[in-house]
Amino acid sequence: MTERKKPEAKKDQLESVRSKILEAALPDVPFDGWTGAVLMRAAKTAGVDHGLARLAFPNGARDLAEYFLADGDRRMIDRLAKSDLASMKIREKITFAVRTRLEVDAANREALRRASTSLLIPPASGSAAKSLYNTVDAIWVAIGDTSTDYNFYTKRATLAGVFTTTLACWFADESDGHADTWAFLDRRISDVMQIEKVKAQATKVIDALPDPLGLIARIRYGSTG
Amino acid sequence: MTKPSFNAAADHPGRPPTADRIKEMIRVDHAGEYGAVRIYEGQLAVFRNLPQKKEITESLTRMAAEEEEHLDRFNKLVNERQVRPTALNPLWHIGGFAMGAATALMGEKAAHACTVAVESVIDEHYQRQIDELTALETEEDLKETIIQFREEELAHKQEALESGAEEAPGYPVLSNVIQTICRAAIRASEKA
Repeated sequence: MTERKKPEAKKDQLESVRSKILEAALPDVPFDGWTGAVLMRAAKTAGVDHGLARLAFPNGARDLAEYFLADGDRRMIDRLAKSDLASMKIREKITFAVRTRLEVDAANREALRRASTSLLIPPASGSAAKSLYNTVDAIWVAIGDTSTDYNFYTKRATLAGVFTTTLACWFADESDGHADTWAFLDRRISDVMQIEKVKAQATKVIDALPDPLGLIARIRYGSTG
Repeated sequence: MTKPSFNAAADHPGRPPTADRIKEMIRVDHAGEYGAVRIYEGQLAVFRNLPQKKEITESLTRMAAEEEEHLDRFNKLVNERQVRPTALNPLWHIGGFAMGAATALMGEKAAHACTVAVESVIDEHYQRQIDELTALETEEDLKETIIQFREEELAHKQEALESGAEEAPGYPVLSNVIQTICRAAIRASEKA
C-alpha cells in the first residue's frame, strides 16, 4: 500500500493541538458554554497559535464541541477494550457500554450537557444527530456487533432512543452515585428486550405460514412433469 | 497500454477522498452480492419443490452458494473496515427476491435471461471498480477479490447463456428492464 506520509504527519500534529485546546477549554465550558471566546482563550492558555487553532477547528466552537463528544467516544472505547465484555450477556454489554460512555465524562457533565444542547441549535443543528450516531455506532462496534443488514439500523436507532433518554435523566440526576440514572437505564433496556421478544415470536408465526410462492409455482408448472 | 478512461485518482475535484470512495465500493458491492443471493433465493423458491425442475434447481443452488461466499467476504469487509452497510437493504431484500420469483414464474428461459442481465451489469460494475482501483494504485487485496468475483460472475452468465437465456420470450425487453433496475439500484447504494 502506498499511503503518503505527509498528510498523516500533519493530521497527528493537528490532533495533538485539538486535544491540548480541549483540555484547556474544559474548565471554562460549564460557565461560558461552547463559544468562540472560550475556544480562543483555551488556545492561548495551551500556547497554540491563533492560526493553528483555526486550522484545527475550522468551524470554531462547534467543531470543538463535536471533538469533545468524539473524544468521549474514544475514551469509552478504550475503557471497554480493557473490560471483560466477553463474559457478559448482550443486555449487560449494552447497559455497561452506555454507563461507561456517561462515566468517562462524569467530571464533565455540564460540558456534555452544554455540548448536546448547543449542537441542536442552528447553525450547528444536524451536528447533534451526527454525534449521536457516532456514539451509538461506537457502542455497537465496541461490543462486537457484526450485523450488515437492516438490523444495523434498527439497533442503532433503538440504542439512540435509550441513550438520549438516559442522558437527559443523567443531566438532572442528583441521586447518590447516579443510582436513579442506572435504574432508569435498566428499565429502558428491559423495554427494548420486551420488543425483541415480541419480534421473535412474530417471526416464528410468519415462518409457520404456508409458502404461497410454492403454491403459485405448482399452479404455473403443474406438480408433475 | 492506454490509461483507463475512468480515472478517479486521489484529489480529483468533485470526488470524495480515497478512503471514503473505498467504503462506497465495499458498501455497494456488499449490497449487490446480497441482492444476487436474494434473486437466486426467489428463483429457487419457485423451482425448489417441483420434481420436473430438478436440473435448474441444482444449477441455481450451486450458483447461489457461490454468491453466498461472495456475500460472506463482503460481510467481513464491511465489519473490518467499519463501512456503514447500505440503508437500502430492505429494498434489495424484497426487490431481489421478487425479481427472482417473477422471472422464474415466467419460465426457465426467462430465469436464465435474468441471470444474464444481472451478471452483465455486475460485470461492467466490477470492471469499472477494477479500473478505478488500478488508477488509485492502492487496495491490491480488494482489487484481487473483485477480479476473482467478476470472473465467477462471468461464468454464471456464460452458463445461463448456454442454457438458452436468449430464447426467452421478449428477451431484449426483459433484459433491458432488469439491467435498468440493477444499474439504478447500484447507483443508489453507493451513497445510501
